[in-house]
Amino acid sequence: MSNRNPLDYSLNKPLSSGSNPIKYIFKDLPLFIALFAVLIFGLAMLYSSSGQSFSMVIRQSVYVFLGLSLMTFISHLKPDSYKNVLMHSYWVGLFLLIYVLLNPADGYSTSRWIDLGFFQFQPSEIIRLILPLSLIAYLSRRDSTPILSDWLFTTLAALICSYLVFEQPDLGTSIIVLTSGLIPIYLAGLPYRIIAVYLGFVAIASPYFWSSLLDYQKQRVLTLLDPNADPLGTGWNIAQSQTAIGSGGFFGKGYLEGTQSQLNFIPESHSDFIFSVIGEEFGLLGIACLFALYGTIIWRIFKIGYSAQSSFERLVCCSLGFIFLLFILINVSMVIGIIPVVGVPLPLVSQGGTSIVVHLLAFGVILSAKKTHL
Amino acid sequence: MRTIQDLRKDEEDIRSLKGRSGIILSFLFILIILGNFKILQLIVVDGDDYEAESDKNRIIDVPIYPSRGLIRLQDGTIVAENIVTQGIFIKKQLLESSQDEIQVLYEKVLDKRRKFPGIKEIGKEIKIIWLAVDLSEREISKYQVHKNSIPNLQLDVNLRRYLPHKHLFSHVIGHLGKINSQERLALTRQEYPADSFIGKVGLEKVYEKQLKGSIGSSILEVDVYGNKIREINRIIPIRPSDLTLTLDFELQKIAKDELAGRRGAIVALDPKTGFIKALVSSPDYNPNILNGSEKDSLVIDSYIEEAPFFNRAISGSYPPASTIKPFIGLLGLEEEIINSSTIIEDIGFFQLKENGRKYRGWKEDGHGKVNLKKAIVESSDVYFYELSSKLTIDRISSFLSKFGFGSISGIDLSNEMQSVLPSRNWKLGNIGEAWFVGDTLNLGIGQGYISSTPLQLAVSISAIANKGKIFKPKLIINDRTGSHQPELLTEVKIKNDSHWNIIEKSMVSVIQSWNGTAHNLYDKNGITIAGKTGTAQIKSLIDQELSVREEYEGVRKNIKNRDHALFASYGPVPDPNLVVVVIVENGESGSAVAAPIAKKLIENYQRNFKSL
Repeated sequence: MSNRNPLDYSLNKPLSSGSNPIKYIFKDLPLFIALFAVLIFGLAMLYSSSGQSFSMVIRQSVYVFLGLSLMTFISHLKPDSYKNVLMHSYWVGLFLLIYVLLNPADGYSTSRWIDLGFFQFQPSEIIRLILPLSLIAYLSRRDSTPILSDWLFTTLAALICSYLVFEQPDLGTSIIVLTSGLIPIYLAGLPYRIIAVYLGFVAIASPYFWSSLLDYQKQRVLTLLDPNADPLGTGWNIAQSQTAIGSGGFFGKGYLEGTQSQLNFIPESHSDFIFSVIGEEFGLLGIACLFALYGTIIWRIFKIGYSAQSSFERLVCCSLGFIFLLFILINVSMVIGIIPVVGVPLPLVSQGGTSIVVHLLAFGVILSAKKTHL
Repeated sequence: MRTIQDLRKDEEDIRSLKGRSGIILSFLFILIILGNFKILQLIVVDGDDYEAESDKNRIIDVPIYPSRGLIRLQDGTIVAENIVTQGIFIKKQLLESSQDEIQVLYEKVLDKRRKFPGIKEIGKEIKIIWLAVDLSEREISKYQVHKNSIPNLQLDVNLRRYLPHKHLFSHVIGHLGKINSQERLALTRQEYPADSFIGKVGLEKVYEKQLKGSIGSSILEVDVYGNKIREINRIIPIRPSDLTLTLDFELQKIAKDELAGRRGAIVALDPKTGFIKALVSSPDYNPNILNGSEKDSLVIDSYIEEAPFFNRAISGSYPPASTIKPFIGLLGLEEEIINSSTIIEDIGFFQLKENGRKYRGWKEDGHGKVNLKKAIVESSDVYFYELSSKLTIDRISSFLSKFGFGSISGIDLSNEMQSVLPSRNWKLGNIGEAWFVGDTLNLGIGQGYISSTPLQLAVSISAIANKGKIFKPKLIINDRTGSHQPELLTEVKIKNDSHWNIIEKSMVSVIQSWNGTAHNLYDKNGITIAGKTGTAQIKSLIDQELSVREEYEGVRKNIKNRDHALFASYGPVPDPNLVVVVIVENGESGSAVAAPIAKKLIENYQRNFKSL
């Protein structure tokens, strides 16, 4: 077409007219600053919660650097150029999940880990973010609205992943994987008629599902009912974690001064339970600051998403925004004892290379939705 | 290129997306609200509780026990001390995870005879568990070899009670033992955790509080494994009080040696103060074995039959037999039923007018014409049968009770037995029968229902030695509160003080007169001793009505049926400083067996007394 549409033209204008190389490189400065702040804060908390282990912090820093580089790189790619890769990354995820079931790493009672010698990781941590991205890529592969088979196919894909994780067995993560698969499907416009059918199906199947749970999985759910009833048994972790947060007060006991964390009363304090260390050492104030940073990140994700131009970009931003929020909520809720303990790290803060890298990769995809011009 | 249709579709997409986002957000919002409420509740509402909880987690109070107080003699000889032994312990938290190490310990390090102690009874306040104590050198060297394979099992010292003289003071000092649940009820759990030792008997029990001292504590910060991070505060324990005994080492040793191999008891005390100078019960035992500071098999079966733990000196009940005669004689003088020259014809028996029943004396042919002095010197039973029949039970009973018969002396030892002083009421209450004259006659020669402990007899004799004053018997002369002063229990008042002298002269004559029952002790140049022999009948002629001498002799072939030999004495007259009561079970002859021991003690004491 020779004569350009004036609306089209104005939409393609750079959002800010000034040419700022920093803004160009990092695309969304508030998001980047908030991310960076959370990551640095996370490294500081890792130092405190790991028994002041420098080597662990350095190892984590390497992953942070790797993740940030990957994020910046991806953020400058055009979504169309990697959409197909994302879509087929599903098969990689599926392969890893099957592989881990058949070849579990030694030394674990459940088959969750893949051991590459220099590096161990849980495929379920990757699938949590790979699955939604690949489903979005699949659903938006055509310009037209997805048809019935697309909905069923994506739902099935999510269920398969969730089931494979459940078989590890890891009930909590399988629910999380399922949720992170269903969120993009729902946001992409899954018709309410199909949802009604799904719900009807769940209502019929759920009694069979409960009876198929292993004893320890039932126990994990039941623990939540009264974590204080048996402080040395299953509820001990939660009781210690609550004690840490509660004793931190408004301003905390001070960095490296948390007795619960420094004296090892908090289990897994450097990974899943790092939030209780934050609560103990920095108090309500520290928690509020962390939440403010997370809030900023989520606000920027949705802002980018709602102003993105393709359906794919909008779905990526909104889905990942919700999933990110969901992970935070699940981790914090389990640490403070309002939901059962499931293996979800505090995003960008907890120790764990896979989690950091995959999250930052996802932020790269989000940032790529934002158009900036030099 | 985008068309207006594309834009419309985009707008619709965005509207749908925002709508669905809102629905998801409202679900998540529930979690957000709940989470924030929970965080506020933890910090704002329950913060103080959690703060206390977190302190309770990390701060523990480790008691520091002072070493147990020493017990000494006045000359400084240590009688009870504490020795260091080595043991192996494990922290309670590590017990579960260290089963393999414990197996190694029992298989490779410790002697085969050791068994794993029970774990179930261990209370919450116990932080460490001793797997083995009092290690031998062999075990310690084996531990050093295997040390690296059992890192959770640690070597440490602990203190054990030790009596350097072993058996010598066993019935005075007593021993410690593991505290039992009943004892713990009355004590603080802090001071006495479930595996602690406590005085079980003797001075260790009576002076437990003083010997224990007050515990201190170390307030520690620990991590979740119970490892000490730092000490926050320390309360220094108060050193317990050392005790000084009244006992005389030499006397105690002589008394023990003299009784060795026999069953019996010796009590020697200073009548002017009540301080015990020797207290021996035989057989005895080695308290170190019970205290855990010495390894040995405790007793063999036949030894148990001899009751080595039974303190005969304060708990043994014996008929006072003829040693009661001076008291009865004194009462006769007081009541003016007799005077020193009243004569009674002793023809070998006393016949009751009421029923014609004959009560025999120990000498078949009798002692002939007997006055009070002769009655005591030769120990005429018939004289005292007649005297006591005239005195009647009521007067005898109330008079004897003034001397401490029938009551406990209140010595600072546990398990003192109350002696028995019969009366009309006592018999009605305990036997369920009325009092007969025959009972009075038996009482008059110290047989029948009456019983004394050696200690009580010594206290009663001290009244004669002291012309009426009775001091409370004591074993401890000095403790933290200072020196213990003699404590006058009571003073027996009599109408005529010359009566004391009559009795004393008679008791001196028991040894000095050629016809005295203890004339074998007489030494012209020696110390003047007053004494009275006694032969406590077990199978008595009276009880069994064995009037035929042959049958009586038959009974005596069994050693256990032989009479107990008694000797109650004091010296030197006229200013006595030692009362000695000797009882040798089944020793038969007070003069031949018991009296020489008493003499030896009194003589030895004078030698040392002069040199003081």
